[in-house]
Amino acid sequence: MNKSPWIFLGVLFALSLSWWGMVYGPASQVNNLSADLGGGDTLKPRVGLAKQGEQVYRENGCYYCHTRAATGGTFGYKIQITQLGDDQKINEEVVGLDYSTQTVFKKAYAYKAVAKAVDSLKAEQGKKAEERDEAKIGDANATLISAKAKAGAHGDDMEVNLKAYGISGVNFEPDMRAQLGLPAEMNEEQQAAVAGARFDITDGTQKWSDIESTVRRLKDKAGAQFKLQPVAKEWPDVQGGAGRQSVLRDFLFDAHAMVGVMRVGPDLSSQGSKIAPLDKDGVPINTREADNKFYKHLYDPQWEGESSHMPPFRYLFRERPLEKDVLAGPREIVIEKEGSSRVAIIPTAKARALLAYMKSLRTDKSLPEAPLVNQPKQASAE
Amino acid sequence: MSENTDNNATQASEAKPEAINASCRLPVLFLFFSAAVWVVQASAAGVLGSLKLHVPGFLADCPYLTYGRMQAGVWVAFLFGFAGNAGLGLTLWMLSRLRGMELARPGFVMAGAIMWNVGVTAAMVGITMGDQPGIAGYELPAYASRVLLIGQALIAFSAILTYFSRRHKQLYPSSWYLIASLVAFPWIVGTAHWLLVETPVRGAAQIPVAHWAVTSLQQIWLGTIGLAALIYFIPKITQRELYSRQWAAFGFWLLLILGGWVNLNSGSPLPVWSIKLSQFASMLFVFVLVAVGWNLCQTVKGVPLIGSEDLTLKFMGVSLASWLVVALYTVGNSMAEWNGLLQFTYAGTAMRQLFAWGFFAMAMFGAIYYVAPRLFGGEVDWACSGTYKWVFYLTAVGAAVVGLAGLGLSYGHGDALTNVETLEVSKKALMPMRIAFMGELAFLGASLIFLCSMACLLFRNCCGECSPMSLIRQCCPAKVEGGAE
Repeated sequence: MNKSPWIFLGVLFALSLSWWGMVYGPASQVNNLSADLGGGDTLKPRVGLAKQGEQVYRENGCYYCHTRAATGGTFGYKIQITQLGDDQKINEEVVGLDYSTQTVFKKAYAYKAVAKAVDSLKAEQGKKAEERDEAKIGDANATLISAKAKAGAHGDDMEVNLKAYGISGVNFEPDMRAQLGLPAEMNEEQQAAVAGARFDITDGTQKWSDIESTVRRLKDKAGAQFKLQPVAKEWPDVQGGAGRQSVLRDFLFDAHAMVGVMRVGPDLSSQGSKIAPLDKDGVPINTREADNKFYKHLYDPQWEGESSHMPPFRYLFRERPLEKDVLAGPREIVIEKEGSSRVAIIPTAKARALLAYMKSLRTDKSLPEAPLVNQPKQASAE
Repeated sequence: MSENTDNNATQASEAKPEAINASCRLPVLFLFFSAAVWVVQASAAGVLGSLKLHVPGFLADCPYLTYGRMQAGVWVAFLFGFAGNAGLGLTLWMLSRLRGMELARPGFVMAGAIMWNVGVTAAMVGITMGDQPGIAGYELPAYASRVLLIGQALIAFSAILTYFSRRHKQLYPSSWYLIASLVAFPWIVGTAHWLLVETPVRGAAQIPVAHWAVTSLQQIWLGTIGLAALIYFIPKITQRELYSRQWAAFGFWLLLILGGWVNLNSGSPLPVWSIKLSQFASMLFVFVLVAVGWNLCQTVKGVPLIGSEDLTLKFMGVSLASWLVVALYTVGNSMAEWNGLLQFTYAGTAMRQLFAWGFFAMAMFGAIYYVAPRLFGGEVDWACSGTYKWVFYLTAVGAAVVGLAGLGLSYGHGDALTNVETLEVSKKALMPMRIAFMGELAFLGASLIFLCSMACLLFRNCCGECSPMSLIRQCCPAKVEGGAE
């Protein structure tokens, strides 16, 4: 190693290896990432106040104490049947005795039998008069009556009925629905219950190796449609409030990707879901109480005796002392601590921007590469 | 044949050490003194920032002094202020000595050094104003990195001219490391500047780029300068030959190849292949550890380093030990469970501190202790040589405290993070940082002594008979004897 040019070239080559692997490779991969989530939904860039809030977060160096990276954990699989296959026996065999004896399962096949009988009756009745076989019509009617009776024999719980209707994959006319204990005219909630019907055939504690053969048989033999839902086993971040693991696409539109250094404070990847949780339509619920709670924490993290080691960010607020019985203004937030004076605070534009940024940090939407993870069911207190 | 002819044509006679030292005197001393000023600033800001962990309300009403801004400032002051100045100064001196030639174009170095310090100052001001790019470990605003790149280019120009001024001599391994550091810096900072600050790539792509830049700056840029010093001074002072050039070459190339890959957190929101590749590189880092460690340990076999009488050797001993510990931690990061437990704790920061202070600063303090007096000529020594040893003791104690607190107590924090039922996670997070505060106080003490020692050395010896100390000496007797009138 005494040839200087070779050393220069060697150094450049050696450096280029890690440059290629850690800079060029991932950057190329990321450039192909799309904002499309499927189903017409897309990731949206951060705009307005939230974008300004990102700058406030950066300039104050919040990323030294907070991370924005919900990490992975261990999980099990819940197999959720969305539509049963046609052959009841094979499906019974695949899902096993524990699940095939459940009312939903039996009722779903009863609905399938009704649908089949209705179809054959319609087919026979639809023939020309000279081709019609009255004996067959009589048989079809008898089958229909028997199927209806079977369907009715499994109780009259509306929730069960809707779920069974959903996973049976059949579609009845309103009058038939009424005869089968289903609502003739469904409201939005009932329609959603049918559309989102799932029949769980595992409890979510199984590993992939435990369910692999069931999945194959469901797909290849039983002809059922199903989803695999991850359920957290040991997944601290999910158990702490994150919806799923953080992935690259969570940072797709960030001006500065601040993953964070340490977790002196909590992970903020799902902070938005905590301040403004989603309603059933997937729209964040913003409340003044939740906003004010955030502002109070920012102004005085030890407010109400909270055990926090975060420094106060009082300079993000305008404040004025309040006399004892003086009312605060409409936009003011009152901080009242035991043993100290009352203060009314108004968040500055930076504090409001920071709140908007916090609300934009969410892991409550499923991504193909990171599906939402269910929380494990807690054992009942009894 | 043609090579011999060429070598004979360009061969220059070796310059005398005194001449080399004289050529380096002004620029290298300027760089060393700047380093001393920045290291005080870095350690003082570190102490001030850490105080906030004990008293969260301390200076809380000043937006310019948030914990995050101070942490960014601490690392910039250390990395570019202290490490950059000291590293470049030592690079110039060592290259001159290793090539046996006077420093070429010292004027360029002076211009570069001034630019460099302007760049660091701009970065510090920018961070205080909230202008940092949000990349922990690389907090240079765009305007600062431009100035730093120009400054480094000017200094590197002089270094390269010096390097190529003689071609016949066998290259000592330290030369490889120094050349690598000169090439690596513009590559790393240029990439980070263009892809993260000037024209940032998409947010998601910034994560791997930032990791590469931060890790490369530490492992490759600082690593090569620090190891060059170890490989130069340990054999020189012990008066032994380096055990093996082959081991040195093996360690050198592997460090360059693997340095940018290692230490990626297993919980990073990155493709799995990146994380697995990083873990594999961290595992291979064991070969760097063995190549460098074995080579130097065999070189000094039987000679105590830390227990030596020679202060420079003591510095180098602790520096080598710290480098080995951090390299071991890097190898440990190849284990996903270990990495998963410690990734968001103080352990990573503590290891960075150990690398910065225990390895790099120790190597620089030791090297400067050896080099600085020689720049003035053979007769000069440190003003109060007894006090300089406190730089060694305090830095060693500080590095040990930070390293032990980081490795020992971060497990509690990591464990609390992986257990949702554990309460008071932040208390467990703060415990190692609070203990490490003692280490930071030691760093501050060491930095102040180092700055005072440098100031005394310059005060006494600069400008020959016109030095401030000479002038005072000339004035004082005159007063005692009844006035200079």
